[in-house]
Amino acid sequence: MNPLGEKYLRKNFLPFIFCPGCGDGMIVQAFLEAVDELGIIDDLALAAGIGCSAWIPVYMHADVLKVLHGRAIPAAIGLKATRPSRKVVVFTGDGDGLAIGGLHLLHAARRNIEMGVVVVNNQIYAMTGGQVAPSTQVGARTQTTPYGNLEKPLDGCKIAVAAGATFVSRGSTAHPKALSRTFKKMLTHKGFSFVEVISQCPVQTGRYIHGSGAPQFNLQWLKDNCVPVDDPAKWAEVEAQGKIPLGDVLQVQKPEFMEEVEKMNQRVKEARAKGGDR
Amino acid sequence: MKGAERIEIDRRYCKGCMLCQYVCKFEVFEPGQERSALDYLMPRPAKLENCRVCGLCELHCPDLALTVVAKKKGKGKES
Repeated sequence: MNPLGEKYLRKNFLPFIFCPGCGDGMIVQAFLEAVDELGIIDDLALAAGIGCSAWIPVYMHADVLKVLHGRAIPAAIGLKATRPSRKVVVFTGDGDGLAIGGLHLLHAARRNIEMGVVVVNNQIYAMTGGQVAPSTQVGARTQTTPYGNLEKPLDGCKIAVAAGATFVSRGSTAHPKALSRTFKKMLTHKGFSFVEVISQCPVQTGRYIHGSGAPQFNLQWLKDNCVPVDDPAKWAEVEAQGKIPLGDVLQVQKPEFMEEVEKMNQRVKEARAKGGDR
Repeated sequence: MKGAERIEIDRRYCKGCMLCQYVCKFEVFEPGQERSALDYLMPRPAKLENCRVCGLCELHCPDLALTVVAKKKGKGKES
């Protein structure tokens, strides 16, 4: 086994539950590489909801919170509020993070609480059998849209930027080294970070949308359709060509929620000591 | 020149997706006949001498089953 896996995976849970050629395993590896370089495995606290991608943290030798469908972000906020020293990372899928848990994402981003949210986007509801998801492309044939999808897909990165996240980036499993660097930035960022990972799902997306269930075909589809872009201003250009732009969208520093809470507590304590009530 | 001493494929975890063969630029792997513990046909590092230890196969392995062990420096000169 890979030395990273030897060091950081729970051996009694292996082999992975994922299908052959699934991108989730690559995300595990890219994340572990970032964690290994930073040496923060003991500080990690991971949270996940329901879905294929929610199995990602379960295999890692860190503290894991597995909660209700879509509610991973609120649970992680509670965790961060009670243990501010922990590095909290949430793994969700496109159904878990953008559909049922979409509103939680907005409010967590608005608070700018220090945590990372990784949304693994495979463009379909994979675990439940290949139904249309909020991230499915227009015209895609799925189990529930046999004549082509009419709804426009949600762009998770744009939503996160609009809601006030301070680090927003997009990676893909076809570019694992860049993905690992993105995870490293996410883990060192002070504030709410949102990382969307475009992943392959040979069994559902591959068979129903792209036309082949071969892992090689789906990896090549990602390599052909995901374009790394340095400048976020060029994203619209790439999107106009029907491709998916990758790279950092936004990285800014804003007051962090737990630090502000700490400051407020200090202020109230000082005011009370002087005899006031706030 | 860099070279691999051996390529280990863990037969407990390999699912035979053959992404290692697909991403390899030097055609090291070929489909093998041996089955893994999960009953998938595993790849075989047939042309090990072609390997340049770029690590792409290791990075792309979705089950973390693959390890490339590089030759130790100076070993080529001694032998």
